Amino acid sequence: MFVLRVNSMQDLKELSKKLLEQKQVSAILGYEHGRRGPRPVFVTEVADCERLVFDHRCVHNLAAYLSPRRTLVAQLGRLAVVVKACDARAVAGLIRESQLKREDVVLIGVRCGGVVRDPNGAEQLSADNVAPRCLECDKREPALADHLVGEPKPPPPGSASRDARLSEIEALSPGERLTLWTSLLSRCTRCHACRQVCPMCFCERCIADKTQPTWIETSPHARGNLAWHLTRALHLAGRCVNCGECERACPAHIPLGLLNRKVARVVAERYGYRVTDDPSTPTPIGAYRLDDEQEFIQ
Amino acid sequence: MNTRRTLSTADLGALVGDLIAAGTTVVAPIRFVDQGRASIEYGPVQSPDEMDLDGPQPSRSLKEAVFPPTEVLFRWRQAKSAVEIEEVPVSFKETVVVGARPCDAAALEILDRVMGWDFRDELWFGRRQATTVLALACTRCDESCFCTAVGLSPASTRGADWFLTPVEGGFEVEVLTLKGQALLERHKARCPEAEGSTTKRVADLEQEVRAHLDVRPDRIRAWLETHFDDALWKRLALRCHGCGACAFVCPTCHCFDMVDEPDGIDGGARRRNWDTCQSALFTLHGSGYNPRKDQAARFRQRILHKFAIYPKRFGEVLCTGCGRCVRVCAAGMDLVAILAEIGRTAAERGGSA
Repeated sequence: MFVLRVNSMQDLKELSKKLLEQKQVSAILGYEHGRRGPRPVFVTEVADCERLVFDHRCVHNLAAYLSPRRTLVAQLGRLAVVVKACDARAVAGLIRESQLKREDVVLIGVRCGGVVRDPNGAEQLSADNVAPRCLECDKREPALADHLVGEPKPPPPGSASRDARLSEIEALSPGERLTLWTSLLSRCTRCHACRQVCPMCFCERCIADKTQPTWIETSPHARGNLAWHLTRALHLAGRCVNCGECERACPAHIPLGLLNRKVARVVAERYGYRVTDDPSTPTPIGAYRLDDEQEFIQ
Repeated sequence: MNTRRTLSTADLGALVGDLIAAGTTVVAPIRFVDQGRASIEYGPVQSPDEMDLDGPQPSRSLKEAVFPPTEVLFRWRQAKSAVEIEEVPVSFKETVVVGARPCDAAALEILDRVMGWDFRDELWFGRRQATTVLALACTRCDESCFCTAVGLSPASTRGADWFLTPVEGGFEVEVLTLKGQALLERHKARCPEAEGSTTKRVADLEQEVRAHLDVRPDRIRAWLETHFDDALWKRLALRCHGCGACAFVCPTCHCFDMVDEPDGIDGGARRRNWDTCQSALFTLHGSGYNPRKDQAARFRQRILHKFAIYPKRFGEVLCTGCGRCVRVCAAGMDLVAILAEIGRTAAERGGSA
């Protein structure tokens, strides 16, 4: 059995009931137990608030459901959403990019000491099963939240270790990197789970779906796959919140988070920018600064 | 036809070695480890040592061995107004699949029906013809397996040319088809005749799978055919992200898109690529109108196609209970729970509504 802190779980349920009873929101978007671990749930009835849970297996970034392209979710009305610090960065991203108004959502922040890779299994969070995104996370609670529940948490296990695989790949020659990525991406079948679960992939019409002209070939061959994944990584430069949902959702087990984390490193080095949960901080691509690097313009 | 043979683990390895040496492609479950994540996938093996027949179910289905994610239908060359079409071959290199799961082998036969229906898909049947399937009885399951609810079992021989049942030191082999017999003729020395019937049936496992989901497909179908506008669809589809992961790992989902892709300015290829009814683009008309306007309509389509439309057209469900859609879903969509709910609702209404 999983040891849940009864009081913090109770706080979550009581707060959710109150929000529904007082009609501050018409639904709570949180987590419930499924047969394979926790999963997203939309609670609209006060009595159903008892189903809400939160623990280290609540991996899913629920901000993905706040994108305006989720028409069914939008029909529910005003939502309260359970967010970890990483999820709050995605909410901030949606606000920053005019997809969501801050007042249109109530954020129930949960204190988080890291999550596992896979919601199914893993009774204890350990350095072996901690999600890669938690390795460089130094936020235990989301500053953007309206409410905060849960006990204070220690940093995730193994959080002092650097993202070793990324550094290994950085050390390769460009030719070796191309060979590696061509091989990894050859497993892609273009199901687009990476895009659909991504809170920041909210385009009404994705470039990968455009056919006149076809910018990105839809065939899952080497050319099409490389074009798709590199375009997506670049489109997420300075925007990706490193929630790792693309990697978790990938049925081909492609380590897509590596691409995003690499781009995030470049953005941090060149523009001194790290994705934050402060919606008023502009992204590098959304702002102009006289001191921006420009040596590449010749 | 049903010939019983035995095959030791060492002889299976030797048989695979012989096949590879003779130029046959051998596809089998292989274990991959990447960043600490282990997964088992079907793939071509270069040596018998690469096979992992004891592991869990491969995370993607066997269908891609017969129906690749992308495939050229024809190529074209053009010079001014002259267009030349180059056909692709529809005969393929001999392939032997070793260790296909019963749910994957059965799917091939279920798909033969639609692939040979109003149009005979020569690429599908070309690969089917060239492929001999050595299926392997399951010895384990997880909470997402539900083959028994769709008329199969961990020991179903459907779609198999040979059926291997693990026994002490190796396998008992049932040779089930002419294609299987032909393979046996070439490798008879490795497969001595079985003495009596030593096959240890996997009855316990079957009971375990049955406990996950016990529904009647005919009741499910009757409910689906009369509840197109049920509130269930919107409620279930709320958490669905609308990706194609479920369809792409499914052994029976078979929809595809066709695209013309140029290679330079004077030619190109028409390809067909896996597609999924879960994507909004799947039914988007040129006019901008989309008859499946939201994820509720799209999710309903997937369930209806499998459990109402295909049975109506072909007399059986388009699902082998492999459970992959449940395991793969990032949002926790759970077909086992959904079918159980529909089954309960249908039973409460006396099975008539």
